[in-house]
Amino acid sequence: MDMFTLMSGLQLTCIYGILAIGVSIIWSSLGMLNLAHGFTFAVSGYGAWWAAITLGNSGWIVLGAGVATGGLVGLCIYFIAFLYIYDKPNYPIRALIATMAINMVGVQTLMWVFGPRMKSLPKVFGSGVVRLGEVVMTYGQMGTIICSVGTLGALLTWLGLSRRGLEIRAVMQNREGAALVGISLRTTALWVLVLTGALAGLAAVLLSQTFFVNPYAGMQPLIKGLIVALLGGLGSIGGAMIGALIIGFAEALTASYLGGQHVLMVQFGMIIAILLIRPRGIAGLLDESREE
Amino acid sequence: MSEVLSVSGVSAGYGSLRVLHDISLSINRGERVGLVGLNGHGKSTLFRTITGLVDWQNGSITLNGVQIGGKRTHGPGLKTHWIARQGVALMPQGDAMFIGLTVRQHLDAGAFTRLAWSERHDRREKILEIFPPLRKLLNQPVGKLSGGERRMVTLGRGLMGDVKLYLVDEPSLGLAPKISRAVIDALMKVELTEGAMVIAEQNLQLLEGCVDRLIGIHGGEIKGAADSLSLQSGMI
Repeated sequence: MDMFTLMSGLQLTCIYGILAIGVSIIWSSLGMLNLAHGFTFAVSGYGAWWAAITLGNSGWIVLGAGVATGGLVGLCIYFIAFLYIYDKPNYPIRALIATMAINMVGVQTLMWVFGPRMKSLPKVFGSGVVRLGEVVMTYGQMGTIICSVGTLGALLTWLGLSRRGLEIRAVMQNREGAALVGISLRTTALWVLVLTGALAGLAAVLLSQTFFVNPYAGMQPLIKGLIVALLGGLGSIGGAMIGALIIGFAEALTASYLGGQHVLMVQFGMIIAILLIRPRGIAGLLDESREE
Repeated sequence: MSEVLSVSGVSAGYGSLRVLHDISLSINRGERVGLVGLNGHGKSTLFRTITGLVDWQNGSITLNGVQIGGKRTHGPGLKTHWIARQGVALMPQGDAMFIGLTVRQHLDAGAFTRLAWSERHDRREKILEIFPPLRKLLNQPVGKLSGGERRMVTLGRGLMGDVKLYLVDEPSLGLAPKISRAVIDALMKVELTEGAMVIAEQNLQLLEGCVDRLIGIHGGEIKGAADSLSLQSGMI
């Protein structure tokens, strides 16, 4: 594996990891398969782009605008696809359809407002190259890796130590038990959707360092995020991280040795194979205690 | 004596199945009450009705004068968090546990309300005094514990909050006799100056001498109540 493959593998791992953790947390805490996650991703790219041309090119502004837009879209998803339907029968299916609708309407609206032309974001981390011995990294790659590792570390610490974090994890584990200790699913859902939206916004800015912003920009990351979340075992954050590592490197390796057109094929092949062998994904290997 | 819980004319069930028929009872402050009856005759459903977890319910349930019942035809569990914050702690039969959380986090979850959260360390210490075996397991995920240890965690979680009414569902279920004795003894240690406790149990011997009175439930209806246990062997 050459250094370029390694670096782009790591970069993709980070971005997919952030998305997959969002998908995973939403699924296990709210029972919602959030297909609008890709839309959140695309809008956040536009939010960051808009901030860059109106407010200024500073990296902080671009990152902040992406994250804020993501959080805002998360809030919209909360109102449209959660608040008024979560107590109805068959909620998972309703939420699936609602989020799919948000995704379709949203993407077409983006197309309508901004047009199909690709936009490029300013380089948040500046342009240049770092050499660490053998390894050559662009500032973008290094920034992406540091930024996502930092964010995920902070997220995990927050989930582990704070009252809100405990609330979210309790809901992920057992909704009835959570209600019995006084946790309101409505409040938790608001936090979860805004938080995961903001994470998707961050991922959008990070990925746009390498790719362009366009209305369909969210489609591929959404599919990758879903694959990783499934592979990791829905609901497991550790599993999602390992899944992201596997998928990210598989993508980098496939792209450089077989060609970019085989990437999705290989990934879907992998997910089918892994789910045949380990139906609960990687999470089943991580903890033997979840037998119920 | 003041009433903590007052249930009147309550019916409840799941889907088209009606489990409880016009139940009325009242529990006073400081009381420990045994709710006895055979399997499948509505003990758990009564608890689940009080906490709003059944599919539908009808009738008045008040906790210290606050109406927590009422008529409801859908949305099981929607009001449960609010009822829990009013001070009802259900220690459920199926345990409803957070399998992946550690014992420590699990106990902390019981002190979720803002006020209790700030005192969680002291409260956790108290729970560990009641259930000493948990001390060594604090950092173990709950999914790895044995049935008896899990039951202790469930009870401990219920004891962490500011509770006015403890509802303990079958504390001895699936436990070895010696362990269930210990669990009952631990429940007896809980101070009830502010609240009351209802223990649902099939095993009458276990409750003997522990509770202030018994309420029998059969076929979803209240069948007899008694003050003293010694009379009651033939009651149900």
